[in-house]
Amino acid sequence: MIKTTLGRAGPLLGLVLLFLAGSLLSPTFLSSENLLNVLTRSAVIGIIAIGATFVITGKGLDLSVGAMAALVAGLSVLAMNAMLPTLGPFLSLVAGLLLALLFGGAAGFVNGGLVVWGKIDAFIVTLGTMGIMRSLITWMSDGGSISLDFALRDVGRPLYYGTVLGVPVPVLIFAVLAIGGEIVMTRLRFGRHVTAIGSNAQVARHSAIRVDRVRLATYVLQGLCVGLATLIYIPRLGAVTPSTGLLWELEAIAAVIIGGTALSGGYGRVWGTVVGVLILGLVANILNLTSLVSPHLNGAFQGVIIVIAVLLQRRRSID
Amino acid sequence: MKLSRRNLLATGAAGLALPAAAVLPAAAQEKTARIGVAIPAATHGWTGGLNFHTERTIQSMQAAFPQLEFILTTSGDVQGQVNNVEDLVAQQIDALIILPMESDPLTEPVKAAKDRGIFITAVDRGLAQEGIEDLYVGGNNPQYGVVAGEYFRSKLPNGGKIVVMRGIPTAIDNIRIEAFQKVLDGSGVEILDMQYANWNPDKAFEVMQDYLTRFPQIDGVWAGDDDAALGARAAIEQAERQEGMVLLGGSGMNRVIKMIMDGDTLIDADIFYPPTLIQPAIEVTAMRYATQSPIRGRYVLDSPLIKKENAAEFYFPDSPY
Amino acid sequence: MQQNQQPGVLRLDGVAHAYGPNRVLNGIDLSVGTGEVLALVGENGAGKSTLMKIVAGYLAPGQGAATWEGRPIPSDPQGAEAAGIVLVHQEFALIPDLSVAENILLGHEPTGRLGLIDYAAMRETARNALRLLKSDIDPRAGLAGLPVSSWQVVELAKAFAARPRLLLMDEPTAVLGAKEADALFACIRDFVAGGGSVIFTSHRLDEVLAISDRVAVLRDGEITLDRPTDALNEHDIASAMIGREMSDLFPPLSPLPTAAPILSVEGLSVARNFGSPVQDVGFDLAPGEILGIAGLVGAGRTELVEGLVGLRPATARRFALKGVERPLPDAVEAWQLGLAYLTEDRKARGLLLGENLQVNTALTVGALTGGTVLDPGAEARLYEQAQGRYSIRAASPRIAVGRLSGGNQQKVLIAKTLASEPEIVILDEPTRGVDIGAKGQIYQVIADLAAQGKAVIVISSEMSELIGLAHRILVLDRGRVAGIIAPPEGERPTERDILDLALGLGTQGTPL
Repeated sequence: MIKTTLGRAGPLLGLVLLFLAGSLLSPTFLSSENLLNVLTRSAVIGIIAIGATFVITGKGLDLSVGAMAALVAGLSVLAMNAMLPTLGPFLSLVAGLLLALLFGGAAGFVNGGLVVWGKIDAFIVTLGTMGIMRSLITWMSDGGSISLDFALRDVGRPLYYGTVLGVPVPVLIFAVLAIGGEIVMTRLRFGRHVTAIGSNAQVARHSAIRVDRVRLATYVLQGLCVGLATLIYIPRLGAVTPSTGLLWELEAIAAVIIGGTALSGGYGRVWGTVVGVLILGLVANILNLTSLVSPHLNGAFQGVIIVIAVLLQRRRSID
Repeated sequence: MKLSRRNLLATGAAGLALPAAAVLPAAAQEKTARIGVAIPAATHGWTGGLNFHTERTIQSMQAAFPQLEFILTTSGDVQGQVNNVEDLVAQQIDALIILPMESDPLTEPVKAAKDRGIFITAVDRGLAQEGIEDLYVGGNNPQYGVVAGEYFRSKLPNGGKIVVMRGIPTAIDNIRIEAFQKVLDGSGVEILDMQYANWNPDKAFEVMQDYLTRFPQIDGVWAGDDDAALGARAAIEQAERQEGMVLLGGSGMNRVIKMIMDGDTLIDADIFYPPTLIQPAIEVTAMRYATQSPIRGRYVLDSPLIKKENAAEFYFPDSPY
Repeated sequence: MQQNQQPGVLRLDGVAHAYGPNRVLNGIDLSVGTGEVLALVGENGAGKSTLMKIVAGYLAPGQGAATWEGRPIPSDPQGAEAAGIVLVHQEFALIPDLSVAENILLGHEPTGRLGLIDYAAMRETARNALRLLKSDIDPRAGLAGLPVSSWQVVELAKAFAARPRLLLMDEPTAVLGAKEADALFACIRDFVAGGGSVIFTSHRLDEVLAISDRVAVLRDGEITLDRPTDALNEHDIASAMIGREMSDLFPPLSPLPTAAPILSVEGLSVARNFGSPVQDVGFDLAPGEILGIAGLVGAGRTELVEGLVGLRPATARRFALKGVERPLPDAVEAWQLGLAYLTEDRKARGLLLGENLQVNTALTVGALTGGTVLDPGAEARLYEQAQGRYSIRAASPRIAVGRLSGGNQQKVLIAKTLASEPEIVILDEPTRGVDIGAKGQIYQVIADLAAQGKAVIVISSEMSELIGLAHRILVLDRGRVAGIIAPPEGERPTERDILDLALGLGTQGTPL
């Protein structure tokens, strides 16, 4: 039983070790400013990774989230700029935010629909939509950047830079979504059904579960999460480029797996994903704060951390 | 055959060739030619601009010279570009315009094309071996680093501490950084740390945040690229460390040039290194076939420092980059 | 101890074994002589597999002595195999990506010049080994493409090809057809005639009586019967296995109800990728009735009911519930209409093996009538009820269902299927892979369902089960109804009646 507990807590243990390493290696690591920086910028990937937790738990995969984030952000910025003269900055921003959720949900619906009704493997579907969406944003921006109008930037700025009672807004949104996600996964029937489908879709089909509908819902949920993440992303730099969201899908998947969710489906935990996101964020942060390794080796260092974090919890499946 | 024009064009000066092309009557050309173009895909702002200008130039060239056929290929990685070159050769091209993603791995495939009699135009970067390309149109990468170094020397005459963001790990990044470090040698300007920001604003934002946390005193930042500079700028503003900070990007993104013209407090200069350099490369190569003129040579575009005074010269509001 | 040196003699003296605190075997004394076939019989969990593993060298006995030809059995399988003891696994120890011949001679590949594998010799040896089992499987065929019964034949051929002197077989006939089983028995007879010895386990007592020389019954880790087969009948063996009389295994049959049918089906057709499609099937089912469905493997029994409950594309001329016609339901509608289906494949389709008992029990009823928010208290109560009603034996409701014995897993599956209180219950092979004790309990559950007025359909490959349980028996032959046997009150059909229809020999049944 001790082994099981250790395995379950594996990622948490990794997080604690990173904290120790960080505070030993850098005097500024533990400053609230630094920790809030890391938390805030982890929020974008974190929100996407929470959606990915559901998709992966249901034995699916969504490789398109990075490209989707870029496309959704680009479309929303264009829409907000277009609405600005008629609606004014505040209403345009609100409408733009709602549109981002709508676009994200719609993109997720397309992914899920192709998987469920097209009966195409999720890997292939989302590899395809990834290319399509990435090309669309490149085409829309002519390879350059799509910039948010300056009037909107001032209104939207608090979405990334604002704080509530000292807590940055993105961190707040991430935290609320994480708690909500954990509840949905463990306390709601939807989470149970996602787990059941990921564990054995045939059993789910024999158990009066609407497998297609639940599966589709995971992709729509992922799309909504991407939409929500872009709301935080857009005000940060006020511009969307073809390189926005590049490789975010891999970061999100890595965070989910580090957090203990099974890549083969059937077992997912949202709090683990949050820990996974923080581990990835802290590793990059510590590497920037110290001259521990040559920048050429940063990738290797991150890779080692990921492998160790997953090894720590491997005991769970053996037990 | 217009011998007199050919003689005129044989000097090969792009500046002469371009107006000449404009006056050529389309009906006068007869020989057809197929020109392959291999450039990197739009993975960051600069390459995005590159793709935009490439497509636009090809369109205008094709309109002017219907007998020329262009085949455009793009690739996100080196191996993909090698495949693209081989595919182009297989399509019996007469000329190849290439912006090599990396010099070394592309040298052999391009040399093989050359050996089959294909005219080679190298853009931005040369190949690892001398004498393969017939025509070279490039930016001045060492100068890029030198200009940046001199900028910080002049801005921090009494020395100071700066941080540097490198680009995507490539040969040109190495050339720029080496030149940059050389200029700063003995100047009293100390480089605190260098990290890769991949010429990407999001990555630069995070790297800059961490630099600001780590170093209580930073007098200057070279972000290496304008996309990255904008990301770094957001982080500096968030930390409210604009005071006494010098921020330089590079490559001449129109948004940044506009900021310089408007007198931005943080970014007051830029280094010109525009993705438009693909334009003369395509035009001169096209001219060779449109006019049957033996063009060859090297064209190196300057990378001057852009300041408020001369910014208007470099401002192209319609360009996406 | 002179006789111990005799070749081909296995002796166990006071062998005991425990997994942790769990004692599996207790003071086992057993011997097998040359040319003898010993049938080892017992309920699941009685210790048969552990005993087999000790004899095959996979496990060293915790206490006591296990000797073979006077020497202790080597404590590793390779050593035991070298000494002539070969175990045929219940789970297949075969490699799907290799050919049949490569599997049969795995580890014993014949080599030619230069040490290269002699494929021609390998195929020849494999073909001979298969011929002994009356099998025409092509030695060159890839194993992955063959049906499960062929895997068992290959596994057996592999065992014979190793030229053992003591052959251990764990449930060798569980997945074999009648022809293959007969061939296996012939093979066993030849083998013992040539001086070999055999220990095998089986759930099927008719087989035990047909092939063994001696029967040993294990119950709770102890031998409760060890006698020559000539002196035994099925009744004796079953009583020794379950520790009580066999006669109350089947509960008394309630009288055939006369109520109007709750389910009427006409002209049901179900397409199939392989085998004959189900065509034009029709029947009525009354509340309180138990309808058996019989047929050979491949007759389309499972496909028929899967089509009925929306798990497979199907068409029907008429489908009526309580006299109201409606289109065939989809998989979820079927449940909502009170039509429950218990799959024959409990591991792949029935249970989430990694989830705990509560989650599994509540899965279907939760999907049907549960709220958006999970209710752990209600789930705990549901499981508690189910545990009592179906006598599920498990250490805790929080353990993974995959760790239970087959019988207990099946009871959990039954609890899960019945949790939504369906009106019509379709049970596909409800006692597959279940020991006799659990079988009796499941029969009682089925009889209780009928007594409560539920309509029940039971599909089974064990004809005795249908004879003992069902009011009427529908027999399928190649996708069509060969007949529905409806015996007069107080009489039971015989296996012969069913077989004649299943084999297409006659139409003794009363067509509906």
